[in-house]
Amino acid sequence: MKLSPQTLAQAAFRLREAGIFIALTVAVLLFWARANNFMTIANWQDIATDVAIVAVLAVGQTMVVLTRNIDLSVGSIVGLTAYISSDTLAHHHGLPLGVVVLLAVTIGIGLGLVNGLLVTVGRIPAIIATIGTLAIFRGLLFEITNGQNVLAFQLPERFLNLAARKPVGLPFLAWIAIAIAIAGAAVLRWAPWGRDFYAVGSNPDAARYAGIPVGRRVLTAFVLSGALAGLGGFMFAARFASVDAVAGTNLEFDAVTAVVIGGVNVFGGSGTVLGAALGAVLVATIQDGFTLLKLSEFWKMFFNGTAIVVAVTIDALVTQRLQEALRRRRRAEMVAAREQGAAT
Amino acid sequence: MRRVGLGVLVRWETVLVLLILAVGVWCRSLSPLFLTRVNLLDLATPYIFIGLMALGLTFVIIAGEIDISVASILAVSVVVLGQIYEAGANIWFAALVGLLVATGLGLVNGFLVAVVGLPSLAVTLGTLAAYRGLAFLIHSGEGVASFPTQFTNIGIGYVWGQQVPVALLVFLGAAVALGFLLHATRFGRYIYALGANREAARYSGIPVTRARIAVFGLSGLLAGIAGLVYVGFFGSSRADAADGSLLDVVTAVVLGGVDIFGGSGSMVGVVLSVLLVAELRNGMQLDNIGGDTQNIVIGVLLLAAILAGNAIRALQTSGLRTRIARASKKEVVRTAGQAEGTT
Repeated sequence: MKLSPQTLAQAAFRLREAGIFIALTVAVLLFWARANNFMTIANWQDIATDVAIVAVLAVGQTMVVLTRNIDLSVGSIVGLTAYISSDTLAHHHGLPLGVVVLLAVTIGIGLGLVNGLLVTVGRIPAIIATIGTLAIFRGLLFEITNGQNVLAFQLPERFLNLAARKPVGLPFLAWIAIAIAIAGAAVLRWAPWGRDFYAVGSNPDAARYAGIPVGRRVLTAFVLSGALAGLGGFMFAARFASVDAVAGTNLEFDAVTAVVIGGVNVFGGSGTVLGAALGAVLVATIQDGFTLLKLSEFWKMFFNGTAIVVAVTIDALVTQRLQEALRRRRRAEMVAAREQGAAT
Repeated sequence: MRRVGLGVLVRWETVLVLLILAVGVWCRSLSPLFLTRVNLLDLATPYIFIGLMALGLTFVIIAGEIDISVASILAVSVVVLGQIYEAGANIWFAALVGLLVATGLGLVNGFLVAVVGLPSLAVTLGTLAAYRGLAFLIHSGEGVASFPTQFTNIGIGYVWGQQVPVALLVFLGAAVALGFLLHATRFGRYIYALGANREAARYSGIPVTRARIAVFGLSGLLAGIAGLVYVGFFGSSRADAADGSLLDVVTAVVLGGVDIFGGSGSMVGVVLSVLLVAELRNGMQLDNIGGDTQNIVIGVLLLAAILAGNAIRALQTSGLRTRIARASKKEVVRTAGQAEGTT
């Protein structure tokens, strides 16, 4: 049987998506059997809202990971923008929500820009840079809150109703996430600078020689991740209403887990938004199930960590097999060509 | 070339000493008690567990890898130690098992990185979460709080006329032993070679896979020793042990002059920067600055240290490049002159 490299790679991707669906089905059946309030419309709407926040972060994280980097600061950006969003609304009840979104996204862009500059201009490895900014951004949040919380009763009705609105049966926040996922997928598929992310991630040197402005693309990826984390912060505030200084802690793990189990390669250069979104659905569903089963926060951590390691291992093994298969095929082709040459 | 590298290293360590003195002056202005012998000797005691993890991480980073799971390894070993002791076993036996577990978890990281071939960033990010979760799954309640004094002395006891903290001696002892291992043994040379160029290391016959596994195992072992000091100092074995200490550990290593891209760094630098971080935290405590605000300062320090290192290296290579250019120009002139002379 002869397979082209493309079909081989596609088969691997399809296998990954099938794997996520199987894991999702198993998880749903398990939770359905064990938790009697799991299979209810209200719970699925809850899950959809949770998926929405993780998915928005995962789209940004996908861009960053594609360029062979990582952004661990998103949880802190979410916390910071969530607090600023709700605090602003608490003090200015009449402010249009669009302005608040804009504010959150702008702050996210600024923080993403800091990450991006540290990585591109400062040449700090992304993981170290964002471990640093993770702590710095969180520290800024503590400074801003000064030990205060924003509570639901301080917020205007229309903001509190936002997350409760369900056009066509799906929570409003989920619609935002779907729009973001479609936009992200479109950028990665059709925008030339979106395609560049793949080139930068698969081989930064080759990308540079091909005339791609590598530094600017990496910067763009971090800015987008920051912007989406800002949007995620607004959504977080809308979802939970009361926000304190630890809001969004560890959310970066949800985003990274979603991205990695969604098949975005940690070596950079391959992966899709669809995969990351599916990953987000799996992560949020499992976490919801854990909550319903009254399993502690730490089962989630254990799950996230194990899922990352398992997914990365599978990726590496599949890549190895794929490369071996390609090498074998190429060798066979060369032999065939030589025989043909000898025959004529 | 070698002399240039050494010169910068010496200068970097001088900078650290100057920073320690400067922060000391600031601390003295906050409290007159700062400059007493008791306080100076006790300054680093609460941060010794961070220092021990930093010593282990130093090997990992010099070898060109990263291990961000160390604090979670510490947590697992601490919880295991507590549970075994509570089950009625001898405390030293429990401590030994804790060390073995920590080393084992480090070896798991090493296996995934060196044998399976995964990036250490992804592996230890995963195990950072997984091990922390594991610690809570083993025991999520309050930890054991009634450890025998002879054991807690590791973290909080004093020797030599009740003056010198045992923890400080444990740290300095570990630093000397690991400094010897890093700077004076074949294994240490392997680590530098790995970080400088792994392919070249492989071709020169260095057992790359084994050395990489060993580095992660060593990092795990040091996290385990840090766990013993942690239990001794805080007197409890909870699963959230050392949560949030990763920033300090990484900062201590990088601020100590260890190249974040691998291949260079010294034990002396790391020891100095551990003391600096401890002193800085101590001073901010004196100044009533909250923990999360302190993190801003430490985070900025981490980033500034790498930026400074990158800038120095850029200057060094540009200096080297001009020197090479100058040398080759001289060469050209000389050969041209010779050519003229012969004709």
